[in-house]
Amino acid sequence: MSEHPNDYIKPELMACCGAREIDDGDIVIVGTGFPAMSANIAKHTHAKNAIMMQESGVYDARPARPALSVGDACLNPGAAMIGGLIDVMGMFLQGGWVDVGFLSGSQVDKYGNINTTAIGDYNRPKSRLPGSGGANPIGALAKKVLIITLHNTRSLTEKVDFITTPGYLDGPGARERWGLPANTGPKVIITNKAVMRFDRETKEAYMESYHPGTSVDEVVKLTPWKLKVSDGVHETETPREEEMRVMREIIDPHRMIKIYEKRGYV
Amino acid sequence: MSKVMTMKEAIAGHVSDGDFLYIGGYVCRSPFAAIHEIIRQKKRDLTITRSNAADDFDLLIGAGCVKRFISTFISLALYGLARCYRRSLEKGIPHKIEVEEYTNLSLPMMLMAGAMGMPFIPVKDMVGTDLMNVKSFLGENKYKMIESPFDGTPTLLVPALKPDVGIIHVQQADEDGNAQIWGIGGDCKWGANAAQKVIVSCERIVSREIIGKDPSRTIVPSFKVVSVVEEPFGSHPGYTPGFYDQDFGFGYVYQQASNTEEGFQAFLDEWVFGVNDRTEYVQHYIQRFGYARYTKLQAKFDYSYPVSYSY
Repeated sequence: MSEHPNDYIKPELMACCGAREIDDGDIVIVGTGFPAMSANIAKHTHAKNAIMMQESGVYDARPARPALSVGDACLNPGAAMIGGLIDVMGMFLQGGWVDVGFLSGSQVDKYGNINTTAIGDYNRPKSRLPGSGGANPIGALAKKVLIITLHNTRSLTEKVDFITTPGYLDGPGARERWGLPANTGPKVIITNKAVMRFDRETKEAYMESYHPGTSVDEVVKLTPWKLKVSDGVHETETPREEEMRVMREIIDPHRMIKIYEKRGYV
Repeated sequence: MSKVMTMKEAIAGHVSDGDFLYIGGYVCRSPFAAIHEIIRQKKRDLTITRSNAADDFDLLIGAGCVKRFISTFISLALYGLARCYRRSLEKGIPHKIEVEEYTNLSLPMMLMAGAMGMPFIPVKDMVGTDLMNVKSFLGENKYKMIESPFDGTPTLLVPALKPDVGIIHVQQADEDGNAQIWGIGGDCKWGANAAQKVIVSCERIVSREIIGKDPSRTIVPSFKVVSVVEEPFGSHPGYTPGFYDQDFGFGYVYQQASNTEEGFQAFLDEWVFGVNDRTEYVQHYIQRFGYARYTKLQAKFDYSYPVSYSY
């Protein structure tokens, strides 16, 4: 579909943006798709000592095929530890040991709050979505939360219809008031158009970089709140040679990531 | 004392209309044989729970067995939103179920509290979000927000859950009900132990001696168990580690069927009402899709090193 000059596709660029947020040695809770891809890229490049876990109870899996759910059969053989939700979500996440959580949402707002419960009125939903699952606790308790979503005026919104997962709630001080642990919360929103970070003071998302092929103006136009732009705004770094090699040769030789193009990540 | 029986006997004898059921599984070891039997016996007004529900819960909802659902999440995973669940909540088909929403941290904690005989348990998630603003059948007892008596910090308490019956599918059990699993656990151990009684569905019944060769794998002790049912292929289209893989192709069949009410009814007629038990289900599967597809799902062997408990 949208091959870029040096042959990467947008979902690959987004996966690389996610990977670059992971530091060596980080403990990462992953889902499937983008998050697993990002974490794997990081692990094969700059963060060889990062360790992944799945909420279903798996620690340091060595899957022989890409996992299609966090309960996939391929996560079992080779893992370093398998327990259940109480182990991963209780002991590790709630215990304060998880550095990075990846989340995606049907609706994301300027404070990084995420809706995966219902579009429209909760009691008479236009569309009933799956619910929190592990998203709320990951958003509440992981030290760095990375959010992946589509960049359009439906997926991004000034205020979500339903806060399933806490970002900065209604702004500065809100997480602290509710007793959420210090130094947690969303760190970045990665879309198919841009990378946004959160202002230290206002807790609002602002544009840090725009992806090749778009512009500051276009990103601002596609964002339904008055999007502030970083003084140092720049074009997003395209996938590095080593990142591309890792994706194409090791992690995703069948290029399953292409399905995200069909979902609008172009 | 042997508790071995058929699934028909287990569900007829131990599940009543209006019961509160914990149903284990996490794609891994979903007790589909039991789910189908509950539908065949037309159980009604059930309250059901577990973290991360999937096609098995969607089936129960679509078949009209469910009144209430203590939920964290429900989807068809790879195949998108749960169709029957959506029809129930968006259109009231076959009726609108009541949903009480928690998360994949708080719900397992509530089951753990139930298993341990505690009245409630503090959890660190949910606060500040709309999950606190929606209350269904639990009403004001969905949660309580207090100041910690130790340091005054805001603390969320959620109630313990004590299901009437726990239903799980495991790799092996003895005829008394000592049940063993390996692989992804979800909230199975806590959900089953929170229940007043447990129905164990298993891939194979083994002797008490075999259980004793590796007792650390036992998640439910015999005294909690009222029925042991041997149901090979019992979690299909989910998987059981060491026995068979998830059947992704069948997931697509269910998605397509459940897209419409008529398709869903036809699915029930073919795969649930059209067979008497799991044995006929497997026979029908092989007739319909061929023996090759059935054997392709079977797990390869890759044994761990033997363990020794001797001294």
